[in-house]
Amino acid sequence: MTAPFTYVRVTGDADAALDTATPGSQLLAGGTNLLDMMRLGVVSPTRLLDISRLASSGPWGRVEETDGGLSIGALVRNSDLAYHPVVRARFPVLSQALLSGASPQLRNMATTAGNVMQRTRCPYFRDIGVPACNKRNPGSGCAAWDGFARPHAILGGSRDCIAVHPSDMCVALVALDAIVHVRGHYGAGEGLTERQIAIADFHLVPGSTPSRETTIGPGELITRVVLPATPFAARSAYVKARDRASYAFALASAGVALHLEGGKIRDARVALGGVATKPWRSHEAERVLAGHEPTGALFERAADAALADAQPRPDNRFKVPLAKATIVRALTRAREAT
Amino acid sequence: MLPGRRAGRDEGLERSDCPTVVALFGEGNEPFADEREREAIRAELRALGAVLLALSPDVLWLFRPDDEQQSLEPAPRAPDGGPPVLFQQLGVVPERGRPGLRGLFVVDGGGTLRFAHRLGHDERITLRAAVEAASRAMLLPAAVPAGSSRREFLLASLLTGFALAVADACAPVPPVRDAASLPQDQLDLTLQINGESHPLRLEPRVSLLDALRENLGLTGTKKGCDHGQCGACTVLIDGRRVLSCLTLAATAEGSKITTIEGLGSPEALHPMQAAFVAEDALQCGYCTPGQIMSAVGLVSEGHAKDDDDIRELMSGNLCRCGAYPNIVTAIRRAQKEMTGTAADGAKGPA
Amino acid sequence: MSRAYTSLGVDRIDARYKVTGKAVYAAEVAVANVAHAVIVGSTVARGRVKDIDVRAAQRAPGVLAVLTHQNAPRLPGGAERNKNDRVDRTLQVLQDDQVVYDDQPVALVVADTLDRARFAARLLDVRYERVETPTVTFDLRSPNYAPPRAVRDTTDSNHGDVARARGSAPVVVDATYTIPTENHNPMEMHGTIAVWHSSDAVTVYDSTQGIFGVRKKIAHVFGLNAKNVRVLSLYVGGGFGCKGTPWSHVVLSVMAARAVGRAVKLAVTRQQMFSLVGHRPHIIQRVQLAAGKDGKLASVEHDVVSQTSRFDEFVEPGAVTARHLYACDNIRTSHRLVRLDIPTPTYMRAPGESSGSFALESAMDELSYAVGLDPVALRLVNYAERDQHEGKPYSSKSLRACYEQGAAAFGWARRPLAVRAMKDGDGWIGWGMATATYPAGQSPASAWASLRADGTALVRSGSQDIGTGTYTIMTQIAADALGLPLASVRFELGDTSFPETPVSGGSRTAASVGSAVKQAGWQVRQALLALAIADPASPLHGLSADDVDVVDGMLLSKTQPSRRDSVVAVMARAQRPELVARADAKEAESRKPYSLHSFGAQFAEVRVDEALGSVRVRRLVGAFAAGTILNAKTARSQFMGGMVWGIGMALHEHTVRDLRSGRVVTRDLADYHVPVHADTPDIQVVMVPESDPHVNDVGAKGIGEIGITGMAAAIANAVYHATGKRVRDLPITPDKLLEVPV
Repeated sequence: MTAPFTYVRVTGDADAALDTATPGSQLLAGGTNLLDMMRLGVVSPTRLLDISRLASSGPWGRVEETDGGLSIGALVRNSDLAYHPVVRARFPVLSQALLSGASPQLRNMATTAGNVMQRTRCPYFRDIGVPACNKRNPGSGCAAWDGFARPHAILGGSRDCIAVHPSDMCVALVALDAIVHVRGHYGAGEGLTERQIAIADFHLVPGSTPSRETTIGPGELITRVVLPATPFAARSAYVKARDRASYAFALASAGVALHLEGGKIRDARVALGGVATKPWRSHEAERVLAGHEPTGALFERAADAALADAQPRPDNRFKVPLAKATIVRALTRAREAT
Repeated sequence: MLPGRRAGRDEGLERSDCPTVVALFGEGNEPFADEREREAIRAELRALGAVLLALSPDVLWLFRPDDEQQSLEPAPRAPDGGPPVLFQQLGVVPERGRPGLRGLFVVDGGGTLRFAHRLGHDERITLRAAVEAASRAMLLPAAVPAGSSRREFLLASLLTGFALAVADACAPVPPVRDAASLPQDQLDLTLQINGESHPLRLEPRVSLLDALRENLGLTGTKKGCDHGQCGACTVLIDGRRVLSCLTLAATAEGSKITTIEGLGSPEALHPMQAAFVAEDALQCGYCTPGQIMSAVGLVSEGHAKDDDDIRELMSGNLCRCGAYPNIVTAIRRAQKEMTGTAADGAKGPA
Repeated sequence: MSRAYTSLGVDRIDARYKVTGKAVYAAEVAVANVAHAVIVGSTVARGRVKDIDVRAAQRAPGVLAVLTHQNAPRLPGGAERNKNDRVDRTLQVLQDDQVVYDDQPVALVVADTLDRARFAARLLDVRYERVETPTVTFDLRSPNYAPPRAVRDTTDSNHGDVARARGSAPVVVDATYTIPTENHNPMEMHGTIAVWHSSDAVTVYDSTQGIFGVRKKIAHVFGLNAKNVRVLSLYVGGGFGCKGTPWSHVVLSVMAARAVGRAVKLAVTRQQMFSLVGHRPHIIQRVQLAAGKDGKLASVEHDVVSQTSRFDEFVEPGAVTARHLYACDNIRTSHRLVRLDIPTPTYMRAPGESSGSFALESAMDELSYAVGLDPVALRLVNYAERDQHEGKPYSSKSLRACYEQGAAAFGWARRPLAVRAMKDGDGWIGWGMATATYPAGQSPASAWASLRADGTALVRSGSQDIGTGTYTIMTQIAADALGLPLASVRFELGDTSFPETPVSGGSRTAASVGSAVKQAGWQVRQALLALAIADPASPLHGLSADDVDVVDGMLLSKTQPSRRDSVVAVMARAQRPELVARADAKEAESRKPYSLHSFGAQFAEVRVDEALGSVRVRRLVGAFAAGTILNAKTARSQFMGGMVWGIGMALHEHTVRDLRSGRVVTRDLADYHVPVHADTPDIQVVMVPESDPHVNDVGAKGIGEIGITGMAAAIANAVYHATGKRVRDLPITPDKLLEVPV
C-alpha cells in the first residue's frame, strides 16, 4: 500500500542533501521500520532521503572510543554494534539487549538512529483499518484502552495512548545514560549546529499528544549516540521475557548495571522495556538499591519500587509480576558477572 | 526471461530470450486442427512467453502468440529428397499418409532443452495436448530422468540454432520510450545480481524482493510476509544476510546481491544446498531459499559455536513445516565443510 | 514382487529444485503480460456496504479495473449445498452488499504492477451502513445447536449408562479445556493466476491441496464445463488444511482475468491469511472421566462446543477420538456449534484429533495423579484391544510397542511421580506424555503409467505435493511396481489433465494415490511379462507370470535367475514404443471388516522458569506405528513437523479478535507466533515397525497429521509435572503461569 514518493540517494552530508525540514521528507537508513510502516499505509512520506551510503563517510558509520566512553555513529548497524569488542567488554547490557532483539537479518540492516526512532508495535496503530488511534489520527480515540491490551504499557500511559516502546537497545541506552547528538538549524540565521539530548529526555510519554514521540522535529537528525564513561557498566545485564524463545518483542525486560564496592551497591542503573510508553528509567528502584548489600530480598524491594506506580489494564496485569521478575533476574545476573 | 520484461537499453541489438516450441508434423499444410485449437495454443504460448515453429516436410510456419501465423520459406529437403535434415537430426521419421504431430521439442530462453517427445508409430497426440505437456515441463526445472545430457545439449543447440536461423523468431523487446516521455516516478537502475548486471526501470517504491520476483523472473527468493517477519526473502547484500522485502531496489543499486539462484544449481549444488538435500532439511520448500541464504550468512558471520547458537541465530527464518531439527543438522554439516572446523554440536537447548 | 525402493530413505526428488530456487510456486509461474489484483477487505464485521467511491482508484496510474458488488459480473453458479461443502457462500464474492465478517472482500483492484494495485486499493472510499456490533466470541452459556454430522461420524454418541457409572465411581475428573482460534499460516500465502483462453475456457495456476476441487468449484461458480477448466499446482508451499478448498481469491482472480482481458495474478497478503482462508475454530471441551481406584475407566464423557460462521457450517470433531481410544463400556460424546460473525473455519492439521486429544489426554493425565498411577501405566490399564465404537477389530494396532519404545527412548522409567520434583537452577523440569492417534483413510484415486521402449517410465496422477513428499514416494512405488531403477521413473502430479485423485488432506494421499500408482504400475508390469513370456526369442519364453520378477529394468525368473531379459530388449523385439495402463483404485475391500488407525506415544520434557513464566521444550520423543513406512527420511520429517505444530499449539498460537469490532488484532507473523528455531529442540522419532495387510495396497496408514495429536497435551502435562500448575487454556503463555496458583 506504499504511496508513491521521490527517491533521493544522499552521497555527501552537505546541508542541502539532508534537508528533512521540507514537509513530507523522511530519512531512510536501514528501512526496517520505515518501509514496514509505509507498506502498511501508516506513514506516507513523499520524499525519501536514502542516507545508507553515508555510513562509509565520516563518523556516521563508526564506533569510536572517547575517554572511557563510546561514540556510536547514527548509521552503525545494530549487529556491528552488538559484536563490537568494546561494547561486549565494557557495556555488555547493550550487546545483550541488541542481540535479544529482532533477528540477525534485521540487526544487519537496522541502524543506531533507526532503532532510537522506531515506532510502536501496537497492532491498532499498525492497522489503518482501525479508525481509533490517537497516535495515527489525533483525537480519534485509543482502541487499545478497552481492547486487546495484553502487549501494552503499564507505565507512562494515558487514557489517550498505552502503546509500548518496542526497542531493546534503547533500554540499555537509558541504563547507560546515553546522550543523543542531534544536528539542526538552531537560532535564526545560523548554520547547522549540534545539540545534545539525554536519552531519558529524547522520547516522550504520550500524555494527550501521542503523535509526538520524540523531542526532535523536522529538520533535525541524529548524528551519533554517545555513551559516557561508566566504569561499572561492565557489570551489567539485560533480561528479556517474551512469548517465545526468540524473534519476539518483550513482554517485559530489564537492563541494569551495578557498581559494587566493599560488598555494597554504590550505584545502580535500572531501566525497563516492554512495559512503558518510552524506554523507562527507574530511579525509584535505584534509590532502593543504593548503599545496600546486593541480596535477593533487596532486589525484590527494588523491583516493587519500580512497579509501584504501574497502571495495568485488565489484559496485562501479569506484566507487573513479570517486570519485577525481570528486574530481579537482571540484577542477579549483574551481581554474578565477573 | 520473457520478452518485454527487461528494459534493455540496446533493444535492437539485444536478443530477447524467449522459449521456442518446435513441432514436427508428418505431412500437411496446416498445423492447427481448427480455430479453437489455435486459440488454445495461443493462450499456452502467451503463458509461456514462447513462439511456435511448426514444420512438415513441405512447409514451415512461425506462430507468435500476439500475431497471426506466418508462413515462411520451407526448410530445404535432404539431398535424397527426404524430409528436411532437421527431422533426421531430431530422430523424427515422418511418413507419407501419416499426417499429424510426430515430435515436439521445447528449448527455453537459456538454451536448455526442456521437453522432447517423439511420437511412437501408433501414437496420436494433438498439437494442443503436446503444447500443454510442454508448458508443464517448463514449470519443472529439469527432466527426470536426466537422460543423456550430452545428447540433450546437442539437441538444444540444434534447435536454438534452427530458431535463430528463422529470422526474428522471437518477439522483439518493445522499444523503450525516451526519457522525456517517461513518467516522472520511474528510476533507471542497474542491479548486480549473482554476478550479472540487470538494467531496470522501476518506481522507487518497488522492493528488491518484488524487483527480483516480478521484474526479473528470479522467483527463488520468496515472499512470506512482506513485512520483515519471516525471513523467507533473505538474500546476501555485499555478503551480509538481509531481508529483501524491506530493502528498496533503489537502495540495493551499487551493491553485490546474491540470491539463491547464484549460490548453486541443481547440477552443481553449494555445500549448504547439498547438506539441506542430504539431511531432508525441507518439506514444502518455500522457506528453504531464505533458510539457506541465511545459513550461508550465519557461517560467514562466525558466531555460531554450537547447536543452540545455530538455533538462536537462525530464528529469523520461520519454517511452518517444522523442518528445524534437520535444518540445524544440515547447517552444522555444511559449516564444517565450508570452514573446515567442526562446531561443538552439543545436543538440546539449555 | 520385490520391494526395493519403498521404505528406503531416498532423498526427496524435488529437493534439489527447492534448494536452488527452481521450484515454481503458483504466484511465480511466468505468465506473460500478467496484471496484478489486490483484494480490499471490509473494516466492519456485520453490516452492509452503502457505497464505494471508486473514482480516485480508477484514475490512479496503471489501474485496469475496480470491481465491486455494484459492477462485478453475476456468477451463474449459486451457493451449493451438499454435505462436503465447507466454504460455499464465501465463493459468492462481490455479489451483494452484505458484510458478514471482518476483512470480507468488498472490492478488487487490478493494475499493471503490484505496487500500483496496492496503492490504488487504499484510494477506495468504502462506506458502510446498518453496522452492528458483532459477536465474535462464545462461552458455554452461549446458545448453540447440534449440527447434522461431526464430519465422518455422528454428532453425538451414547453407549452404556454414563450417569450411573459416574455416580458410583470413586474417582472423577471433570475439567474444561479451551483452544483458541488458530490460523494455519503456511509459509506460502495463497496465490492464483488465471488465464482465459476463450470465452469459456480458463487455466488456473493455484496454490492448493486439491486441484480437482478447485476445478469443480470454478466450473460451478462460473457456469463452465469442467473439461474447460484446467488447474495446475506443481509445488505448494504448505497447506495444512487452509488450501484444501478454494477460497474467494480464486474466484476473484478468474473474475478479474475475464474483466480485464489479461492474465491476472492475485496473491493473498499475510494479513488476509487471518480472515480469507479459514482457521481452526475456538473450541471449548468438557471432559469427565470416572474411574476406579485402579485407574480403570468407568465412564468417559467428552462434550465439544466450537464456533462456526453465520452462513456456513464447520465442525471440529474433537470428541470422536474419545469414542474409541480407551476401553470403556460407558461413553457419551457430543458436538455443538455456536454461530458467530466470523469467517467459516476449516480443517487445520488433524482437525478434531489434535484439539480433542489435548482435552482427553490432559484429563487422563489429571486422572493419573488422582489415582496415583504413572501416566503410561494408566493408558495401559485402559488399553482398547478393539474399536468399541465401530464394533470392529483394529486392522493393526501397535500402540503398546509405541508406549514401550517411546518410553525407553525417552528414559521415562526415571520419572518421579510427584510434581515439582526436578529443580534446575531458576527453573523446574517436567516430563509429560500422551497418546497419539489418527484414522487411516483411503479414497478412490486414479493413476496412469507408461513404460517406454527405452526402459524409462512416466507415471501421472493429478495429486499434490504440499511438502509431504508425494513426488518422491510415488516415484518409489512406481519404480517398485514396474521393476525399474528409481532414476528411470518420472512421476508427475498437479495437473487436472491427469487422472483424478482426492484432496491432499486427511493423511490419505499415500494410501489413495499410492494404491492407484501401484496398481497402474503393476498392470504395465503384467503386460510386459506377457510380452516376454509369449516371445519365443526371450529367455523367459513359456514361463508362468508368477515365476517372473522385474528388478531394476531386468526381467528374471525367480526359480532360474539365469534366465533373464531386459525391459528394453523385450520392448524392442515386440516393437512396442510403450505400454500404458490406467488404474482406478477404489477403497480396498480388505478394509471393510476393520477399524483403521495409526497410533503413537508422545513424550515431552520442558523447563519452566516460573518467575518469568516461560516454558521451553527441551526434548521430544514421538513413537509412531503407521503401517509400512514408504520413505524413512521423508516420514521422519512428517512426524517431526507435526510435533513442532504441537509445540505451537501448546505454547504459542492464538488468533485474537477485537471483541468490539470483530477484527483480527494479531494479524501478522510478529503477533501470531509460530515456533521458531530456538523453540524447537532435538526431536527423536521412533518408527515402530508395523505391517498391515488390510489397510490398502501399499500398506501405509498416512502420517501427515498424527505428529500433532497428543503433543500439546504431552507438553501441558509436562508443565504440570514441572510446576504443579495445570493450564487448561492454550496457549501456555507467561501470563497463565504467573497468575495460576499452585
